[in-house]
Amino acid sequence: MSENLSIVYVIIAFFSLGATLGLFTRGQKYHAYFTYIPSAFASFLTIILSLAIFSSENIHLTFFNIQHLFDFEIFIDGVAAFFLLIIGLIPFAVSIYSLSYSKKFDDKKNNSALGMLFNVFIISMILVVISNNVFFFLIFWELMSLTSFFLVIYEHENKNNLKSGLTYLVMTHLGTGFIFASFMLMYAQTGSFSFDSFRDVTIIPQYVKDIAFVLAFVGFGTKAGMIPLHTWLPKAHPSAPSNVSALMSAVMLKIAIYGIVRYLFDFNAIGSSSDYVWLGVGIIIIGSISALVGILYALVENNIKRALAFSSIENIGIIFIGLGLSVVFAAFHLLSLSVLAFIASMFHTLNHSIFKGLLFMTAGSIHYSTHTKNIEDLGGLIKKMPWTAMMFLIGSIAIIGLPPLNGFIGEWLTLQSLLAVFQIPSNILQVSLAFAILAFALTIGLAGATFVRLFGITFLSKSRSSKAINAVEVPRLMLIGKAILASSCVLLGILPFIGINLIVSAFDLPYTPSSPFETISITNADGSNFASLLMPAVLIIFVSVIVGIFAFVRIIGGKTKTIKYGTWDCGFGSLSERTQYTATSLAEPIRRIFGIFYNPYNDITVNSYAKENLYLKKSINVISTTRNIFDEKLYGKIISGSLFVLDKIRKIQSGKVNAYILYIMITLIALLLFVGFGIHE
Amino acid sequence: MSDFSMLDYGLGIFQALLIIVLSPLIVGIMRKTKAKSQKRIGSGIFQPYYDIIKLLRKDEIISDQSSWIFRATPWINFVTTASAAFFIPVFLVYSPFGVVGDILLVVGLFALGRFFTMLAGLDTASSFGGLGSSREMMVSVLVEPALFMTIFVIASFYGGTNISTIVSSANDTSILVVPGILFALIAFFIIMMAETGKLPFDNPSTHLELTMIHEAMVLEYSGKSLALMEWSHAIKQIILFTLFVDIFLPWNFVEQISLIGISFGIMLFIVKVSALASFTAFIETRVAKWRLFRVSDLIAMAISSSMIGVIFFFL
Repeated sequence: MSENLSIVYVIIAFFSLGATLGLFTRGQKYHAYFTYIPSAFASFLTIILSLAIFSSENIHLTFFNIQHLFDFEIFIDGVAAFFLLIIGLIPFAVSIYSLSYSKKFDDKKNNSALGMLFNVFIISMILVVISNNVFFFLIFWELMSLTSFFLVIYEHENKNNLKSGLTYLVMTHLGTGFIFASFMLMYAQTGSFSFDSFRDVTIIPQYVKDIAFVLAFVGFGTKAGMIPLHTWLPKAHPSAPSNVSALMSAVMLKIAIYGIVRYLFDFNAIGSSSDYVWLGVGIIIIGSISALVGILYALVENNIKRALAFSSIENIGIIFIGLGLSVVFAAFHLLSLSVLAFIASMFHTLNHSIFKGLLFMTAGSIHYSTHTKNIEDLGGLIKKMPWTAMMFLIGSIAIIGLPPLNGFIGEWLTLQSLLAVFQIPSNILQVSLAFAILAFALTIGLAGATFVRLFGITFLSKSRSSKAINAVEVPRLMLIGKAILASSCVLLGILPFIGINLIVSAFDLPYTPSSPFETISITNADGSNFASLLMPAVLIIFVSVIVGIFAFVRIIGGKTKTIKYGTWDCGFGSLSERTQYTATSLAEPIRRIFGIFYNPYNDITVNSYAKENLYLKKSINVISTTRNIFDEKLYGKIISGSLFVLDKIRKIQSGKVNAYILYIMITLIALLLFVGFGIHE
Repeated sequence: MSDFSMLDYGLGIFQALLIIVLSPLIVGIMRKTKAKSQKRIGSGIFQPYYDIIKLLRKDEIISDQSSWIFRATPWINFVTTASAAFFIPVFLVYSPFGVVGDILLVVGLFALGRFFTMLAGLDTASSFGGLGSSREMMVSVLVEPALFMTIFVIASFYGGTNISTIVSSANDTSILVVPGILFALIAFFIIMMAETGKLPFDNPSTHLELTMIHEAMVLEYSGKSLALMEWSHAIKQIILFTLFVDIFLPWNFVEQISLIGISFGIMLFIVKVSALASFTAFIETRVAKWRLFRVSDLIAMAISSSMIGVIFFFL
């Protein structure tokens, strides 16, 4: 235990070292090494720490006991350790990636601030997860929000980045406000700021716990990017430098999930009580809507980083579906199904961290060598950047849940727990949860289309602009960073029990860990096999089929030649990059079918040679846009509504001194009346 | 997994090989049926075999714009569909590889193949490929919910997504005319037509940019690659037919291994699948290609049908 504690100190020391060195070596040649090697080392130690906690005891420690308010308690149990694993693994890869990536800013601006904030951002996330006290939780939470805000506006020369930073700042504080309210409510009941007293479920009445959970859910949900509080996410994540976007999407969103898991299974202690059914169903509904709407917007987005950010909303939705199902099953005493849904949800949490970190890093690589995020300007990069293309392909296959990578396992488990809803003894619930399957299936389909579009337009066919033609492969360190996560995708996909065992031991689930080569199997009450999956064997079948068909083709077909020739052009010639499909046209059928979400709008201007004859056209310009109905209908209304109210309030401030004296008078009288007639005990 | 003997595994591999080998035959039968119902003579039912062998021996021309994705796609397609064949019971009531993967894995494998096919369509920088990928994207997105709802109905009725469990409990059920299953059947039939690119979704026998979906994506392929593409498409088709037969017409599967039983089972399987194939082909000659944006209506019908199936199950 004491060794584990010393690891914690070393981690904090190294991140601080990275942050300070980052500031003090500004402008020097080896600046990046001074900044990111300590963070890589500390992140690696974080992985070791979390693995150590899994196999030994929890760390529970109070640092200074001045007042109850200012206790700095740390508590690292399995739950915290699981999230520490995420905070270790992804920043480790991203730190290595950043060693080269940060050179992008070398000639433009001083990147000492970037390195410093990068380190502080990671350490703040670690401290959020390990702190066990409201006061310090909120301080570190705020530190995390503020450092990420500064990272979002790091490239503040671009006015759009400033604007998205501001949206982020407002929304994240809205969320913090809800979390704060929830904590205060718990404090009012328990009289203590320590999370230990929150765990004591007996003293808190049921309705208070419900209200506290809903408040916390809204607060953490804002940070996680659930619909309709997601509006900051697709703005802030693409604005930040890509290594930070990777951290924000892959790790910071998971800290919000951490908060929800803490509340749900630790503070609120979802036991077997039917009171929680509505809560679970609510989480599933929000999860389904987030998943579906998130991916619908990802599908039509041309900015590669924004598309990835929208896809994060989708994945958070899938995680929520699993969590909600777990609550519903627990409420109906279906304990093993509840465990299944929970494992599914946590597995997807781990998965999403890995592949979203990977995808954001590849998006950063594309930006690094082409200086554009618009996929309409890209194309043909697979020949220029083969390794980056490979990584993006692995990330895409993983994120859309195709075998044999890790995304498939997560979605398979989630789908299995969704299919198990027929065991719930309530008909209305069964039929309504069938709609969740519908939404989930549509989400999977749309995710496939999204990543076909992102990969196909970015990497395949002819380059669409000189930016893409001049692209070169990124430095090796960036590739290594990505390769770490890509290999984790493959590993977790082929040996899913590595992940499942981690989750089981982290959350102390009533389930015995088994060997990594075991079959995942779900059995019916009568012992028959409901479903099972054995990925290593699938791989063996793959390999034998490959060998078989290769031999068959070789024997039957013999030796043949392969000739390279131009693409078939119907005999007309002159196929160019302008004749191939564009990103917008590729998504057109889906855009039309789901038009209600996009409000697609085509602006066509025809220039004719002469006003008198409109048939002879000089040029036709088509601008095809989609709009975000949430920004337009919901937030637009809220903003215009509040502006209207504020405009009315402004009239109070007339600038006349006597009016102000009048206000003071009125306030004074009101206060006197309040004191005079107020309730005295 | 240990309760299967070597004989079982041998039969399992035999089942998979049967699917892979018989798949071109089903294509031939469907073409023949179509020809007959259009008052043509048509080519023999073994023609697809000759086509595949001929193509395998031909030289290949590939686009100079394409990358390794284009070259790898036929192999990936074949591997995914042929691997999926291992999980499907053909004449036995189970597949010994049933524990390895379930129907969701089969769906996932098909999706992997389709993912690469769509990418290959984009890879050649031709507008035909993009057109095919774009339409395929739309159809596959819409089919997904219908497919999963149907799986939900079947899994709820027969207690599993494991195909062996489904087939054995379907085989044991004395009455098959359950409303829920009937609605699932309608939905599955529509999905089958969509997934295999049949009319009214897709018309694979034309090369007209107005109608083609699957053909547009594989337009640039020739030689070996084309043979593999066609073959894996045929395997996908026979797997869907076999699943249909397994789930909705599960009579007389072999439960006790005996030589007579197995040969009878194989005969029965061929009869059932060819009958289904001819029926599908006959339907194809009776409908016209639907406008692309009306296809969504048909899939919506499949979704609502399976939804009704769900409601019937819970009633």
